[in-house]
Formats: sequence, C-alpha cells, structure tokens
Amino acid sequence: MTPPDVAFTLAPPPPGSLHALVKYARIFRVALIERMTYRGDFLIGTVLRFLPIVTTILLWRAIYQGSGQGELGGFKYREMIAYLLLTNISRMFSSMPKLAAGIAQEVREGTLKRYLIQPLDLLGFLFASRVAHKVAYVSMSFLPYAALFYLCRGYFDGFPDGLQMLAYAVSLILAFVVGFYFEASVGMVGFWFLEVTSVLYIVMTLNFFISGHMLPLDLLPQPWSTLLKLLPFQYMAYFPAVVFQGKIRGAELAFHLGLELFWAVAFAVLARTLYRTGLKRYSAFGG
Amino acid sequence: MVAGVARYARMFGGLARYTLAREMAFRGNFLVKVSVELLWMAILVAFYKTVFAKTTTIAGWSEPDYFFFVGCFFAINGLIETLFLDNCNEFAELVRTGDLDFLLLKPIDEQFLVSCRKMDWGTAPNLLMGAALMVVALVQKGWEFDAGRVAAFAVTFACGVAIAYSFMMMLTSVSVWMVRNQSLMEMWWLFSSLARYPRGIFEGRGTEALGRFFTFVVPILLVSNVPAEVMVRVFDPGMIAWTVAVAAGSLWVSRRFFQYALRAYRSASS
Repeated sequence: MTPPDVAFTLAPPPPGSLHALVKYARIFRVALIERMTYRGDFLIGTVLRFLPIVTTILLWRAIYQGSGQGELGGFKYREMIAYLLLTNISRMFSSMPKLAAGIAQEVREGTLKRYLIQPLDLLGFLFASRVAHKVAYVSMSFLPYAALFYLCRGYFDGFPDGLQMLAYAVSLILAFVVGFYFEASVGMVGFWFLEVTSVLYIVMTLNFFISGHMLPLDLLPQPWSTLLKLLPFQYMAYFPAVVFQGKIRGAELAFHLGLELFWAVAFAVLARTLYRTGLKRYSAFGG
Repeated sequence: MVAGVARYARMFGGLARYTLAREMAFRGNFLVKVSVELLWMAILVAFYKTVFAKTTTIAGWSEPDYFFFVGCFFAINGLIETLFLDNCNEFAELVRTGDLDFLLLKPIDEQFLVSCRKMDWGTAPNLLMGAALMVVALVQKGWEFDAGRVAAFAVTFACGVAIAYSFMMMLTSVSVWMVRNQSLMEMWWLFSSLARYPRGIFEGRGTEALGRFFTFVVPILLVSNVPAEVMVRVFDPGMIAWTVAVAAGSLWVSRRFFQYALRAYRSASS
C-alpha cells in the first residue's frame, strides 16, 4: 500500500504571523494521514487493547472475593474497576510510544541536522505530530471506548459535575504535556549515550507501576503511597482517574492541578535545556 | 529422521552461538536488558505482595501457590520471548520488503528459519528468574518432593511452550496478508494477559463460559495453568492428557497454516 501523496495538496505557506501556525498545522495534517494509512492494523490494535481489561476485572473480582472485604485501600470493588478503566484513558493521553527512541535515533543517525538547517524546531515538530497521533488515536478509539464504558457503566456512579469534569479535562491535557516532555527529556539523553533504548525500557517499566497504572497508589504501604504521590509520574495515570472519581476535591484538587502544571512546565524547560546543551555536543554523524 | 533432527539441532546451536556473540558485543546493553526483566519481575512481586497484604487467597490460590504460578508464567513467557518473539515480529518486515525470498531459497525448513533465526539472549535469564521464584514458592509452601508431579510438570511445561509457540506462529502467518502487522505485539500481549492469571478467576455468571472457551476451544489458559496446577495443586491426569493432545494438535495446525500463508506470499520487491 502506498501512502496517499500529500505533496500536491500543499501550497507554499502564506507569509505573515500565521506562518508558524500554518506550518505546524500542516505537520499535524501529514502525520494524521500517515497514521490512517494502515487502518486495519490500527483498528485491530485498538480493539485488542481492550481484551486484557476483561482479565484485569476478573482478577480484581477474585482478589476482593478472597479478601472477604468490601473496601481495599479506600476503594470499593466497583471503584477499583472504574479506577483501572479510567487509567486507560489517562494513559491514552500520557503515553508516548517511540518518542524518546525516535529522538535518540535522530541523534545517533545524524538526521537531526535537518532541524538545524530548516526553519523548524525539533520539539515543536514532534509536539505537532504527537498531537496528530493522539487525535487519530482518540477519535479511532472513541467508539470502542464508548462501548466499553457503556458496558461497564455499572462500575461508575454516573458523570461528575461540570466543574469536576472541567478539572478532569485539564488534568488529561496536562497529562499529555507532562508525558510528552518527560519522554522527550529521556530521549535527549541520547546526546550523551548513543544507545538509550534499554534505559528507556527501565524508565517505562518503572513508570507503569509508579504512575498507578497497575493499582491505585493508595493500596501501597506507607511511606511509598505518600512518596509516589509527590512525584510527577502519578499525573500520567493515577491523578486524572481519581479526579474523575471525585476522590480529590476542593483545595487539594486545585493544589494538585497546580503541581501538575508545575511538572509540565518543569519537564518542558528540562527538555529544552537538555536539547540546547545536547546540541553543543552533537557531532552530526551520518550522511 | 535422526540425522535430520541432529542437523537442525546443530544449526540451532550455531544460530544461538552466533546471536550470543552478537549480543556480547554490546555487554552493557545486555546487562541493562536483563535488569529491565529483573525490574519487571520485582514489580510483579511488589504488586502481588501488596495484594496479598489485603487477602489470603486469589481464586483459591494461596500466596506461595500463586507465586509458583507467577514464576511458571514468567519462565514460559521468557522462553517464548527468547526463542521466538523477535523472529516472529520481524516476519512482517520480511514480507513487506520481500527479503523473505532469501530465507525461502535456503535448503532449510522455512518455519524453522523464520521462527528460530535469532535468539534474544536478553530475555533468557527470565527462565532462571521464573525458576528461582518457583523454588522460593515451593520452599515457602513446605512442598514435599514428588517425582510424579515433577515429571508431569516438565511435560506440561513443554506443552505450554508448544501451545504458545503455535499461537504465535499463526499470528505471524497473518502478516503475509496484512503486510504491516504491528498488532502482533498487541496480540501477544493479549495472549500473555490471558495466560498470566489462574483459570479460577473465570467463575460466575457469563465468565465461566469464557473460561471454558479459553480452555477447550482456544486453549490459552492451559499454557501456564496446567503446569502450575500439577505441581502445587490438584493432580488431574485428564487435564494433563488434554494439554498434551492440544499441544500436538496446535503444532500441527499452526504448521499447516504457516505453509498455507506462504503460498499467498507475493514477493514484494523482486
């Protein structure tokens, strides 16, 4: 299959202040088309991702039955399942497959230099294409997810109120930003170590647990539970889920949204700084 | 027949040595890969320790029994990932680029070459880690040595690997038609997510049928459940016989399917 040729549909960008915006909008468009080329594979991948959810639900049911208790770590059985379903939504926004590895590859193979000689910012380019990937992913998986949540509606206590819903949306968007700049920062390590795939695996594996994707952080014994809630990783899975469930409210919610914003900015600054420092070491290998 | 087996064993040994030499060219990378697996195991143990702090049994499995099960799954999964996962994952790319031609032209069985070409030594220690977890669980359980159970465990463990391999081969063969097959990894994840939990979680309304479906129709649940069960729980000869039959059957079916798929291969770029 050949990807549709997009070159012909692109006129030269108009001059003016809109220039930059148009440029990144086009990157978004091309990435979206690329993403939709192999639709069959993409759709199967999306659908299959749901099947492990069934076994997870069954496992937790067995755990609650075995314990003979109605509540574990402040989560009732229904809330636990709802939580685990919601972390999938969080991860949908915060996970960045192949981002760090991609950056490291550009450094290693020297293709990074195209960002240096073209009027194009590496992080801006990656951000725009990642937003496209997320838009494609979210819209393609909207129906399956809607069906899943409809089937599992018994585990939820309905939708939260408007303000909480707004907080949830903000927490998800920030989860995307935190996830993006966190992984971009990891990828920048490629300037210092040529091979980062393995380091990446360690980070991602650990992240899976400490972000609360496997189980709510409240279930862990102290001091781990408190400690992990101070780290930025919880914002990639745990935090948006508990915001939706209304377990965090009022001042605490505002505080954590602020902290999430802080981490998003902190990682953005870190990624930029690492990029700038890294470029000084960069020796443009390859043809 | 014997000469053939010896020839393939020699070839397999050669390929394994070659990939080990390649792997050892980047020892640091190898060590990091192993530490990832160690970390993953630590996370699994931490997860179940957290859970068992709140309960005494999961689906009728006590803590040591359950950890034996986890070790068994870890070992089988590690073995599959070491021997076949990388190879199968590359198959779609071979089809897309037409490089599969070079493999088909060699005077060796295609399935052997496609599925055993490379060994991923980075996941090989998983077998040892799984074994260590199983031994620790047996000691904690106060298990008494029973040669019959050990023999049955060895047989059903091998069958588990064979069943998992057959599934993977069938998933791989689909790449011939789909060309891009990134979903293979997803499929494998799905497969292992079914095999990683005890069969006992499938009980109650609706799910019991699902449990039977994955035991008798698409027998994924046999892979790690039966070996763990014969070792630490009920010794069910009927289940062992069924597992052996399924292993033989699925190997045959997957081979036929792979050959059928190859006939549809169009040799993209030559």
